[in-house]
Amino acid sequence: MRRRGVLARLFAAAALLAGGALPYVLSTILAPGAAKARRNNLRPPGALLDDKAFVAACIGCGLCGEVCPPDCIRFHARTGGDAVNTPYIDPSERACTLCGKCMEVCPTAALSIIPRARIDMGLAFIDRTACYPWVDRGICGACVTICPLGSRAISFDFANIYRPIIQKGCVGCGLCVEVCPHSSKPIWIDPHRQSINAAEEV
Amino acid sequence: MRVRIFLWRHLNKLRWVSLSLVFAMLIILPCLHIYQTYVAAHAYDLLAPSEKRFYDVMESLTAPFINDPAEDLDAVKGNTWSGNFWGLKLSDPLAVLGQMAAGFSLYWPFILTALIPIAVTAFFGRVFCGWICPANFLYELNSNLAAWLQWAGLRTGARRFDKRIKYGVLGLGLLLSAATGSIMVAAVYPPAIVGRELYYVIAQGGFGVGMVFFVGTLLFDLLVSRRGFCRYLCPGGALYSLLGRYRLVRVRRVVESCNDCQKCNAVCEFALAPMTDGFGQECTNCAACMAVCPTDALTFDIRLFDHPEQGPGHLGRRYRREPSDENDANKAAEEAAA
Repeated sequence: MRRRGVLARLFAAAALLAGGALPYVLSTILAPGAAKARRNNLRPPGALLDDKAFVAACIGCGLCGEVCPPDCIRFHARTGGDAVNTPYIDPSERACTLCGKCMEVCPTAALSIIPRARIDMGLAFIDRTACYPWVDRGICGACVTICPLGSRAISFDFANIYRPIIQKGCVGCGLCVEVCPHSSKPIWIDPHRQSINAAEEV
Repeated sequence: MRVRIFLWRHLNKLRWVSLSLVFAMLIILPCLHIYQTYVAAHAYDLLAPSEKRFYDVMESLTAPFINDPAEDLDAVKGNTWSGNFWGLKLSDPLAVLGQMAAGFSLYWPFILTALIPIAVTAFFGRVFCGWICPANFLYELNSNLAAWLQWAGLRTGARRFDKRIKYGVLGLGLLLSAATGSIMVAAVYPPAIVGRELYYVIAQGGFGVGMVFFVGTLLFDLLVSRRGFCRYLCPGGALYSLLGRYRLVRVRRVVESCNDCQKCNAVCEFALAPMTDGFGQECTNCAACMAVCPTDALTFDIRLFDHPEQGPGHLGRRYRREPSDENDANKAAEEAAA
């Protein structure tokens, strides 16, 4: 009799647990994992550098997107698995202007207020086999002109003043990517300068 | 001793005003955000005709209150999951708890944003669920729809489950958050879903997965169990119930004016039993039972615990019939008074 009572209780607890798990199973099935984040898939400025820590800190409230003046912050709304509802910036669609409103409004530690020069969204790279001035197909300089950080981040080559060269001050806002007139975007941002620096010298 | 105010029966209307206002804000704020991005772009002439119309409407709506749309409209932002009101940041306690579980860390600036909601819940109980929650707004409309369907002769769900399941959902959600390192409770918490999905639909160009989940819960409520998600599954409701367990402001039945009509039991969205003094920690102080009571027998009381069961209402038939010492004493007193 007592054993049966214990069994019944265990069964009830298991049923409660299964009932409780149901919503999570559903929500996980609904948001499949996305492919690994590669170039031009950036976190907003001031984001925690470790992406796992960022996902753990971000509550998905959408405040950063709601204050973004250029409306560049998008959200992993339908995919992303664990990272569902976290913000990202695709500079080839619309780039960050480094205004810093998202850092100020974020209630969590996911985005913290840091000075503009120390922001680390990523680092720009130029494909010298496609960029118009680098292959002598004309003059451009759009990326150098738009850069909000000036010659600290991007400058012209000494020998040929129209060839852009990325400098160490680049914070990865991606405005150069947005304005690049080349249809295949030979300039792009690899997320997180620090990790890149650790892997290879720029 | 007890203050009985006839205005209590009109509180339910005030509650609907509050719910509608919150829901309207969740629609207006993303619209204002779009307007702000248009302003920030300084390119009115490049907008499409429909965008120009939108711009003009938003400008005429906001112009009387602000000088600079790009800055001044930032005063109120966000949703009920986390919001920003003139510099005051408020967050859902569940967001704080979920984040603490997911990151194994305490970030005080964020934890402090949940302080006011927690204090309000400690005093007034689950008022968030009844008075603010944008999902509750839709769920109550859904439950009214179910009533209409029943009136039309269709059968809707009326199953009952164990109310403790939601505490399992809360605990399991926190465990899963800790295991996966992502805030799982946010994915199954309807007010958070409604807030951000409205934002996604209006300003981000389409709904996300949460909308599918939310429509599923609406169907669950309609076809399986009336208000089933809030009653049995909502992790936030579980947290607010726990926080409001020893709330100070409680609904209380005045047994002298109760006539045992059961209308309060029927109208209660959370399957409580006001007529038999069964409130408990799940009561949202929504005042729907007060609005429906024909004899104004429900009132607010300030005390830490529910009033123990008081037996049949003195205006009801059972009270007249049932012989008991207390009953006889009351009757004698009444006769003496007469």
